[in-house]
This record gives sequence, C-alpha cells and structure tokens, in this order.
Amino acid sequence: MAKIAVKMICPSCGVEMNHHCDKLVYTTDTKNAGPTDPSLGGFIEEFHSCPKCGGGASRHA
Amino acid sequence: MEASRPLFIPVILGTARMGRMSLHAARLVTGELGKCAGVETDLIDIAKLPLPTNDAGEAIKHADFSAKMSKADALVVVSPEYNHGYSGLLKHVLDSCLKEYIHKAVGIVGVSAGPFGGARVIENLLPVMRELGLVTIFWDVNFSSVQKVFAEDGRLLDDSYIRRTDKFLRELIWMAKALRQGREQISLD
Repeated sequence: MAKIAVKMICPSCGVEMNHHCDKLVYTTDTKNAGPTDPSLGGFIEEFHSCPKCGGGASRHA
Repeated sequence: MEASRPLFIPVILGTARMGRMSLHAARLVTGELGKCAGVETDLIDIAKLPLPTNDAGEAIKHADFSAKMSKADALVVVSPEYNHGYSGLLKHVLDSCLKEYIHKAVGIVGVSAGPFGGARVIENLLPVMRELGLVTIFWDVNFSSVQKVFAEDGRLLDDSYIRRTDKFLRELIWMAKALRQGREQISLD
C-alpha cells in the first residue's frame, strides 16, 4: 500500500497506466519467476491498464 | 476514460463436438450482443483454435485469441454440460491466457439436453473464472432441453430466451463498464 513504484507507461499511448491488481503466482518455472516473497510462498505479478486505450500490461513486483 | 471507446464483449463457444447445439445458443447471444449500443462482439469457436496438446497454459498462447482477450472488456462463455462438467478443450483454451482476463466481467451460458440447463457446468466453471481473475455476474442463461429450443437449422423456437438473454446482457454490460472504470481509474496503490 505504501510502496511507491515507477508507473508503467502504455507502449501504445505513452500515458501512465493504472496499477489495479496484484496476483500471487506459484510456479515451478524458476526462469520466468520473479523474486519469491517468503511470507507468501510465491511471487507477486502486478497488472496495469491504460486509461486511454484500455490496453493491459503486467510485471513482477 | 475514453467514453467513446466501445465495449468489446466476445462470445466463446466452449465445445468442439460434432452436432453441438451450443453453437445455436452462441449465435443467439452474439446476435443479441450485436444489437446493444456501444458494444462490439465476435464469436470465438474453440474448435477453430489450433492449440497444441503436448503443453498447456501460457506456453501455448494463441496470438489472435490472446489479442481478443486483451481487447475484451467482458466475456460470454457458452458451455454445454458433459457429464456435469465442461469440455477439456474449453479449459485448455481458457488456461492459455491470464493477464488478459484480470478484472474483466464474465457471464456464463449453460446448455444441456436435460432439464437443468447447464446449471451444474456453470457452478463448476465459477471457481475457474475466479482463479483466472475474471469477475462473474449473477445472471446466467440456462438452455434446458436445448433440442426443443432450437430447430436443427438453428432457428429459435422459444422466444422467451430473448428476454432471458437481454436481462443477462444488461447485467454483463453494466459490470463491464464498472470494471473498465476500475481497471483504468482506480489504483491499488
């Protein structure tokens, strides 16, 4: 909640995207996994949407 | 938010079986959606998606299906009930995406030859939808005894399904608008 992260920029519109969701991901794929949060047992994937075109994007938290 | 941007609500036909009656239900829903102001739609037939079966999940993502799910504001899933469940191919297709679905609305249409109208397959799909990040609405359409609802050529024989579909779509469109606003304007931070 208090974390200040760099805003994602929409690759189509160039505007700041809105961070609207975090999802806890469990995976055996260590190559594509983000840093595991030991208190959660997986990694957090952030989901962002563009207020102009509606496009979505995600990244590891 | 770009108010003029139409909602995109594709309909996924969740079976590849020969002689599937769900095709008629999917066409009906797609047709009714197409009449809604400010809504664009498309019928996605999973039988036409050439997904490999020797892997699963995002490893087999189909570019066109992924693009449509990304563009979508909501989905309609039309699923027959096979032995109380959904088709394996529908699950295989749905599992090929994830980020494309997050915080988008979904409505489920159940189809069955018996009297329950796919009620059991809808219940089985609800936890799957939730885990995919989709938000379910509380209206369904249940096509009971589907062989009596449509003629073999797809003609609708029971007009009551127009009203049922209309109520379902109104709820879905409302949820699609609300969730678009949320995705694009309401921050988690």
